[in-house]
Amino acid sequence: MSDQFKKDLVGLVPRLRRFALSLTGNQADADDLVQSACVKALKHEAQFRPGSRMDSWMYRIVQTLWIDDHRRAKSRGTQVDAEDAGLSDGGRAARLPEDRMMLARAQEAMAALPEKQRTVLSLVAIEGLSYKETAQVLNLPLGTVMSRLSRAREALLPQLGMTKGPMQ
Amino acid sequence: MTVPTVMDKDRLAAFVDGELSPEEAAEIVIHLADHPGDQVYVDDLMAANEALAQAFDAPLQEPVPDPIREAIMKSPQADTIVPFRRRPLAVVSAGLALAASVALAAVLLPELQRGSPERIVALGPVPQGSQLNDMLGTLSSGVPVTLDGGEDVMILATLPVENGFCRELEVVDAAKDRLDFGIACHDSDGWTVEVMLSEPLSNADLEDGFVTASGAEVQSLQPFLERLGAGPALDAEAEAEAMAQGWVR
Repeated sequence: MSDQFKKDLVGLVPRLRRFALSLTGNQADADDLVQSACVKALKHEAQFRPGSRMDSWMYRIVQTLWIDDHRRAKSRGTQVDAEDAGLSDGGRAARLPEDRMMLARAQEAMAALPEKQRTVLSLVAIEGLSYKETAQVLNLPLGTVMSRLSRAREALLPQLGMTKGPMQ
Repeated sequence: MTVPTVMDKDRLAAFVDGELSPEEAAEIVIHLADHPGDQVYVDDLMAANEALAQAFDAPLQEPVPDPIREAIMKSPQADTIVPFRRRPLAVVSAGLALAASVALAAVLLPELQRGSPERIVALGPVPQGSQLNDMLGTLSSGVPVTLDGGEDVMILATLPVENGFCRELEVVDAAKDRLDFGIACHDSDGWTVEVMLSEPLSNADLEDGFVTASGAEVQSLQPFLERLGAGPALDAEAEAEAMAQGWVR
């Protein structure tokens, strides 16, 4: 196991924690998820192709583990702790109260989405992956990514007090 | 509110997400100038993306948590990784009150009840100067340690309780086909293993489990933990502080 692989993995942790936080809704579960994903990645390092994107590979591992955990713990539901979940500072970094409310609403709206839509929206809107990259991470057709993204936004925008979408 | 628009919303979304070529994006910009309904939708999508990015950006402002960093940097070779897990099959408690509170379909193991001397974790007070005492006192959660005897040990979590702290740990002894889980609590006399759970390693679903940074819930132990007034697992910073304070609240 190369030190460089480990260093690269550590360098990815902040983004993996953000992705995991958007999936789980709270930082403790997100950190559990990231740690599990890192352990799994280290165990399966040989499966990583040098030269390919480690972030995409790790996003996939995080997402897969989360789906597995989510299925096991479905009865618990997703818990969103506004103080713990979105920002460790409880949103104080957001200067205006309305900004904080918006952040809290965004967290709640994400948590309310079906898991498949939440994953796609997180990768595109938060992690900044292209549709094609998202499709590769999730091993989905491009059209499925777009349709899940569209449905996610249809549900999300009203929760944020925005338009539901164009009336065609 | 629904805004009348002209253009297909997926195309507008693709514009917001940077999926269009420069030429296509320029066409959209020109289109938006004459179609306020579409412009409102685009503005909302951009605002939603920004809100989502901000709502979950805390990890980018924070250092990598020590348990995660250590789990990565101190990990052993891939073929020797022990995937710790927590799903106990048997339980032995140190005290009657504790035993009564642990609602498990217990399969009591005679050697556990006797506190077999060769075991790393045994019920009762932890001897000063022992490996276990050192680990309980100084080892961060989530950091795997391989002992001289080949056993793999990890502290799973630190829980604050009314009178101090308890720490959950797991020991994997591949040679003896054993997987032990214990809870040790600290008081003025030091550490005491209050609860111990065990199962054959060969029965464990190792592929399915990984150690947790914050301590996954062991539902069957919940009554015991509640009796102790246990709070949520400490994060890395709080755990380090408790360690520095000598586990005294």
